[in-house]
Amino acid sequence: MLPVASLLILVPLIFAVVTFFTKTKDQAAGLGFLGSLATLGLTLYAYLNFDSSTAAMQFYESVKWIPFLGVNYSVGIDGISMPLILLNAIVIPFMILFSWKEDREAPNRFYGLILTMQAAVIGVFVALDFVVFYIFWELTLVPLFFIVNIWGGEKRAHASYKFFIYTHVASLVMLLGIFGLFYASLNQTGVATFDIRELVTQFQFFESGLMKDGIFLAILFGFLAKLPTFPFHSWLPDAYSEAPTAGSVLFILLKIGGYGLFRISLPMLPNTGNPDLMIMMLGLLGSFSIVYGALLALRQKDLKRMIAYSSLSHMGYVILGSAGFVALSVSGAMFQQFSHGLIMSVLFMSAGAIQTSTGTRIINNLGGLAKKMPMLTVVMMVGFMASLGLPGLTGFVAEFLVLTFTFTNLPGFVLLALLAIVITAGYHLWAMQRAMFGVYNEKLGDVKDINSLQVFSMAVIALLVLYFGLNPSPVLDMMIKNSEAIVSLAAVLGV
Amino acid sequence: MDEIMYLAPEIVLVATGLVVLMAGVFLSPRSKNVLGYLATLGILAALVLTVRSFGLLTMGEFSVGYSIFSETLSIDALSQFFKLVFLTVALIVSIASIKYTENSDHTEEFYTLVLFATFGMMIVSSANDLIVLFCAFELASLATYALAGYEKQNARSLEGAMKYFVIGSVSGALMLFGISFVYGATGTTSIPTIAANSALLTQNPIGLVAVVLLIAGFGFKMALVPFHMWAPDTYQGSPSVVSALLAAGSKKMGFVAAFRIFIVALAALQPDWQFAFTILAVVTMTFGNVVAVAQTSVKRMLAYSSLAQAGYIAMAFAVMTPVALTGGIMYALAHAFMKAGAFIAAAAVVWMVASERTGNLDIPDHLDSFRGLGKRMPLAALSMTIFVFALAGIPPTAGFMAKFVLFSSTIQAGMTWLAVIAILNSALSLFYYARLVKYMYFLPPEGKKVSIPFPYAAALLVAVAGVLAMGLWPEPFVELAMKAAMVLV
Repeated sequence: MLPVASLLILVPLIFAVVTFFTKTKDQAAGLGFLGSLATLGLTLYAYLNFDSSTAAMQFYESVKWIPFLGVNYSVGIDGISMPLILLNAIVIPFMILFSWKEDREAPNRFYGLILTMQAAVIGVFVALDFVVFYIFWELTLVPLFFIVNIWGGEKRAHASYKFFIYTHVASLVMLLGIFGLFYASLNQTGVATFDIRELVTQFQFFESGLMKDGIFLAILFGFLAKLPTFPFHSWLPDAYSEAPTAGSVLFILLKIGGYGLFRISLPMLPNTGNPDLMIMMLGLLGSFSIVYGALLALRQKDLKRMIAYSSLSHMGYVILGSAGFVALSVSGAMFQQFSHGLIMSVLFMSAGAIQTSTGTRIINNLGGLAKKMPMLTVVMMVGFMASLGLPGLTGFVAEFLVLTFTFTNLPGFVLLALLAIVITAGYHLWAMQRAMFGVYNEKLGDVKDINSLQVFSMAVIALLVLYFGLNPSPVLDMMIKNSEAIVSLAAVLGV
Repeated sequence: MDEIMYLAPEIVLVATGLVVLMAGVFLSPRSKNVLGYLATLGILAALVLTVRSFGLLTMGEFSVGYSIFSETLSIDALSQFFKLVFLTVALIVSIASIKYTENSDHTEEFYTLVLFATFGMMIVSSANDLIVLFCAFELASLATYALAGYEKQNARSLEGAMKYFVIGSVSGALMLFGISFVYGATGTTSIPTIAANSALLTQNPIGLVAVVLLIAGFGFKMALVPFHMWAPDTYQGSPSVVSALLAAGSKKMGFVAAFRIFIVALAALQPDWQFAFTILAVVTMTFGNVVAVAQTSVKRMLAYSSLAQAGYIAMAFAVMTPVALTGGIMYALAHAFMKAGAFIAAAAVVWMVASERTGNLDIPDHLDSFRGLGKRMPLAALSMTIFVFALAGIPPTAGFMAKFVLFSSTIQAGMTWLAVIAILNSALSLFYYARLVKYMYFLPPEGKKVSIPFPYAAALLVAVAGVLAMGLWPEPFVELAMKAAMVLV
């Protein structure tokens, strides 16, 4: 069997390096596309050989790296990481197709950075050692910083620095938590190890409840700021909206915060000093983010900022579902990550296409675009409907699971979140109506529809939204076993 | 006769220095370039000898130490590790200087001073006696005073050298004063004997006075706030290759001397100096990072960032666990690669500005000179990027690994507050490092593409190799640093 986990990091990285040396736009985009296609091939190979009926780690590899500190290069794939790898592998080739025709400076660096980003993100998903995990985690910052800072909108400098420093601080706090985990386990067992699963298991044997809470919160902070959630979200609207379209999509695919939540924080949660308090906190943050994000999205004038805030709202479901802490609510939260990645890619591509065609993203300056851009309107409509949670599309599956199965444990927070559903439907339909329908705004002049590559790439993702909405089991099955494994630990402890 | 063989690296170095000095008299100005290669070879030979001696010393589980010359010098893992640091810096500096001294009339003096300064630093790292330590300290200092003022026509170089010399002399006097108090209380200058008779120091308030004076004296070399006043002017004004030697090499001399004096000799007074170093570390790193943000001269920015880095290393004194010392010692090596490399990259830019005679000639290392460097000198820009990201502690670089070990030790020791301050500082530093990267890659170039001179390129590659090797394969470095730390605990 192929060492898929390592290859999934190496292949995009090698293509990235080669892409940096290309000369023309077509060469750069072509090589980038080829690299992402190769990654997609590898991912499909992994997916076909993946056993959904177990929560065990598959494609496991481990090599000693720094024996003195107990650091190993160990990677593997399980039901938590597989869907997210799949998401990245599927969207990135189409994202490259989408931006192929756009004119920009230094396309070789642009596509090279995209592939570097893909390698780093997949690296986070497959890493099973805290040091490897942290290295890839930090590595995801660098390409995104450059992508926003070089090719972003007007306020790109501000946005890129804010994002960089904000999430860097959060990662450093997380690093402190990792150190705490490492030393506490070293004192406990006398064995130096950075193995994620080993340390997470050791966590329950630590004596001091205060220390456990400190470690848990420090690590959680890193994840929540990356996710992001209220109140650590202030970098999000700037970064998402100032990034070029491909950059916004990369932000959307950067599901490492939620991934960390499932991989590290949730298994630790039942063993913290005060699990009930932690669950309440998560539930509060989740449901508040849902409502708060929706309210902010409602009053945005800029289409891209609106989508950015709706993203904040959607991420709330990930936290709420985690706080629900039963197998299906956690699966719903995981599925929300997958679904959100697909849906938001379509939305950001739509917003990007509108800006390229009309020169503005201000909703009130648009109007009646459906007449001039029929193709765009159709795919965009699918994205918007999925985003507001229309049954039959992926967004509904995720939100349904989260709300239904969280209700038993946290009814209050679910009721709060239900409020937001109305608002969510409201801002989506209202924006759609103002921007795409109604009387055509003649000031926009003669607007062209999106090109065929763009239609194709957006349509494929939109179809996947529909497909996984009707038939979520290929992805959902992988998640359920792992969610059960996470939650069963809690059942044993009687939480 | 056997004893002297332990000093083989130093002997090779001094011999090379003397040969360079004599050869310079007989060579025609044109062929003086050969001196640079000669000095580089000498340093390389010394480096190989040190690595070999290291292998002999650390065989087996525990490190072995030798005391030679009536116990005035000790050859152990700590001394050899720091000799490695100094020789690496000297190597990088001397390679780059081949270009810098190309058209100079004083090539032989330059290299001799570099070699003698390195020799002084190496003896300091071995010194087991306060008088030997002081003499070697002064040897290295005098040589670097002269080097800092090497550009006689350049007012900034002279100003920097003058400040460095005056403050350096005063702090040398303070240090000697402190040593005399230690001698007065214990009646000896031998470090092990002082450590054995620590009661004499703890019972006598003179011990505390000595600690204060010694911290002031060494704080100057380590460039800890508030003894740092000279550093920004000197690092900015000196030729960049000399700044590299000062920031990456000479500063570490202060640290290794402080390791030996405080941790070994004055171990009994640990509560006093540990408290002082904790405050100095926090103030230094914070001050350095905050002020660095406002700098427009890159060398000055590097000077302040160097203060901040000294603050991190000083955390080793504040935490004082084996892991912290390992981290501090590792950081010394990592910092040598990163900072020497960064100053050499600045040297290449200064050379570019000077050779084109356009741009900001008054401050050739101004941020504006770095505009579009990614297009003008790709190698210099790429290596500078690697160095500044390493200084900021981004993986997978030497800076990350060193910070990883050092910061983790504070958690182990239960000093979470110190870790938080250090980490906030780290994040703050990212701001000015990222700004430099932005200038190099995002802003349009204001000139043509320039091919980088070979010596600068070679020196940069050596430093980049070091930074990446420590980041990707840290095991041997951690192990060596740990053995060096074992000497102290």
